[in-house]
Amino acid sequence: MAILGRGRLIPLSLQPVPFLLLALFVCLFEPEAARAQSGGAREYQIKAAFLFNFVQFVKWPGAAFTSSDAPFNIGILGDDPFGSALDDTIQGEVINGHRLTITRSQSAGELEGCQMVFVCRSAESDTGAILAQLGSRPVLTVGDTKNFARDGGDIDFYLLDGKIRFEINAQAARRQGLNISSQLLALGKIVSP
Amino acid sequence: MNQRSRFKLRTGRKAAGGWMCLGFCLLATGGLHAQQISQGETAGATPSNTPPATPALTPATTNSDEGTAAFKNMSLEELMNQSVTSVSKAPEPLADAPAAIEVITNDQIIRSGATSLPEALRLADNLQVAQGDSHDWNITARGFNTGLADKLLVLIDGRTVYTPLYSGVEWDEQNPMLADIDRIEVISGPGGTLWGANAVNGVINIISKSAEDTQGWYMEGMAGSQPRDEGALRYGGTLAPNVYFRVYGQYFDRNNEVFADNGAPAHDDWSEGRGGFRIDTAGSSDDKFTVQGDYYNGAAGDPTLPGTDPDSGGNILGRWSHTFSPDSNTSLQVYYDRTNLTQQEPGIGLERAGVLGDDLDTVDMSFQHNLQVGDWNHFVWGLGYRFTHDVASNAPAAQLLPATLDQNLFNVFVQDEIKLTDDLSFTLGSKLEHNDYTGFEAEPSGRLQWNFVPKQMLWAAVSRAVRTPSRLDENLYEPTGFPKPIASLLDGSTSFQSEVLIAYELGYRAQLADKVSASISTYYNDYSKIRSTTPGPERDIDLPIVFQNNLEGQTYGVEMSSDYQMLDWWRWHAGYDYIQEHIHVAPGETDYTHGLNETADPSNQVFLRSSMDLIQNIQFDAEGRYIDEFTINNGPTAATVPDYFELNLRLAWHATKNLVLSVAGQNLLHDYHVEYGYPNATQEAIQRSVYGKITWQF
Repeated sequence: MAILGRGRLIPLSLQPVPFLLLALFVCLFEPEAARAQSGGAREYQIKAAFLFNFVQFVKWPGAAFTSSDAPFNIGILGDDPFGSALDDTIQGEVINGHRLTITRSQSAGELEGCQMVFVCRSAESDTGAILAQLGSRPVLTVGDTKNFARDGGDIDFYLLDGKIRFEINAQAARRQGLNISSQLLALGKIVSP
Repeated sequence: MNQRSRFKLRTGRKAAGGWMCLGFCLLATGGLHAQQISQGETAGATPSNTPPATPALTPATTNSDEGTAAFKNMSLEELMNQSVTSVSKAPEPLADAPAAIEVITNDQIIRSGATSLPEALRLADNLQVAQGDSHDWNITARGFNTGLADKLLVLIDGRTVYTPLYSGVEWDEQNPMLADIDRIEVISGPGGTLWGANAVNGVINIISKSAEDTQGWYMEGMAGSQPRDEGALRYGGTLAPNVYFRVYGQYFDRNNEVFADNGAPAHDDWSEGRGGFRIDTAGSSDDKFTVQGDYYNGAAGDPTLPGTDPDSGGNILGRWSHTFSPDSNTSLQVYYDRTNLTQQEPGIGLERAGVLGDDLDTVDMSFQHNLQVGDWNHFVWGLGYRFTHDVASNAPAAQLLPATLDQNLFNVFVQDEIKLTDDLSFTLGSKLEHNDYTGFEAEPSGRLQWNFVPKQMLWAAVSRAVRTPSRLDENLYEPTGFPKPIASLLDGSTSFQSEVLIAYELGYRAQLADKVSASISTYYNDYSKIRSTTPGPERDIDLPIVFQNNLEGQTYGVEMSSDYQMLDWWRWHAGYDYIQEHIHVAPGETDYTHGLNETADPSNQVFLRSSMDLIQNIQFDAEGRYIDEFTINNGPTAATVPDYFELNLRLAWHATKNLVLSVAGQNLLHDYHVEYGYPNATQEAIQRSVYGKITWQF
């Protein structure tokens, strides 16, 4: 049933407004020192943890390793943005009998023996050539910008609302004999070329 | 009296037979649905893109090695919740918050088969949820779950949604599109320091997805026995580079439930249409803006009266977050909300039946600043102001006097997390509020967090929280048409005071192995000045009954929750909630229901869920719950609502990456079962239901 008396305007006696503005104003005078620098480091600490998770949520074919206790080698292709974060993250870790190690290089050819290759932004202009080199091997390729997976890579990172998200090209991974767990598939965005 | 009422204001009569029992009925009123005026929790409600609960609760880690180690120990889900430019510069895993927190994710909501927000809230082990009829739910944490449950604060994207009418939530007005909810944070225990009055027994933060996260088309359709049918459509796109938007519309038509004593259909089916939008800026800028709004219009049948009760509402909210440096950020939020409720009210005595309406306008502003000072201190402080303009259109036998009421609420709060050692931190803070009923109220708290071994944490807290008076407590008037001293049945009182809680909490949380996590929270709550229904000055007649603050007492309990990833494709969850209540009449005082009117809480609740990812992109989920019996006293004498087991199942097939087909059944074990209500002819039961659903996005 209809209610009478609608549509009144709200008497806005907003005394606190000056106070709020003042508070905001005070904040504006804070020194801008130290801005921004931590953003990048933190981002790659988190991405290092993602890579460490990928090692555990993807199953590699036996042929990816020369022996059952051969190291699991993570390649970093291009200009390494991690600093020590990735080294700190995987230090001393052994997954399914494989000790985790890191190889840094500017050439995809030198990383053919890796099980996972992180393609840094500096190297992404060569995505085509990199994938030609690694795309038929059991090497999980992880890119640092959106569309890397659409372009034929396996996984890429992107930022959404200041948080890290990832895309997965499940078809490409399957072709390489990599078995990505459903848990990872459920959390990533599935893309196809 | 009818405890289910749309806005639960229903006062009395009606219960069986003559009117000498009126008094009882009153009480009955579903535990006198009463509540209060909006307070200011908003200051603590941080923007939806940062978890409201955690910034203030978590200590800041500053060392980068610690950061790396902390991230490494997080689950993928936790990693995905880390902001790459967090203010505190530190990882803020939920597992580190020294409070009883549970988080419900979008995925859990969808997989549960929930078709409404209250159903989704059953996923939180630390809540009590009882459905009274097709469109009324009582929801609380840590007890006091009557039809007038009034000790829980609920926020949707930073906007308070409890009504100052009785300090409760009209759950049938809160129907955000479930597909667009990012997560729901449920905190049991007091949150007054950050959120203000009414965050007495808990806080629920419902956080919707950013517009950037909902790009493209989304469509869903449901049909079955409950809901009868439902459809939703959403489109998301860009307005400019890094400026995203979405618009949505939704309609549902929900079936009636049945009367408990004979299974006959009740006249309480309901429907609602709603639409809205959200705009978010993204990108690397230090400034982030969000603007969002919704409008809805619905109507619900009254189980025992012939007509329907329409209601409608809308809101618009803007938020500006600014980052000055990794150590300092601010957010400023402003919103306007309008809510129009109607409720048919039966007559009393000589007074006829009629309709009670309530139109509420709210303007709310809040400002918050997060500030890291040195390595050891993380400050959060803020200010808030709220203005409410409430207009009641009174029914003959149920009135709010004065009919029009303007109120102002101010608050300021500050909290500091002090890192004592690498493993030990202490959080101290208080909110100070000023409301028009009781003046200044302080809500201090202290919290201690000890990470005694990696991945295991002990925490303890002492807090004070208040429930400030509601319009019902102060302004209710139920005339009978007779002369004094029986001129009215139940009256509010302008001398009503704030209810006060001192809470003591102790908790433990652990990631016990890669695949097992567990949490245990315990509490001892000491309440004073709880609402009583006290016979009036004419003691030989008992009328009118007046709201006073003559109850006090203690509650204590345990909340447990555990997850187990048994196999890659099979996950288990178990939860248990235990509560004991000793609420009694204060020495020398009186209460019409001997202290039993404010509580209606099962001592034991047990939850068990299984989630399976089967072959061929098939998901199968099962969810069982056991809810203990409880005493209810909103009738002539105390009665019992029986215990029950129920089971929900859902089977979904992700046919393609764009298309999901599912079928779900809820409350499958019984034709119908009772969750709430005084056992008389108006008590309702909830039916078994099944529906099919199709979801398409591209």
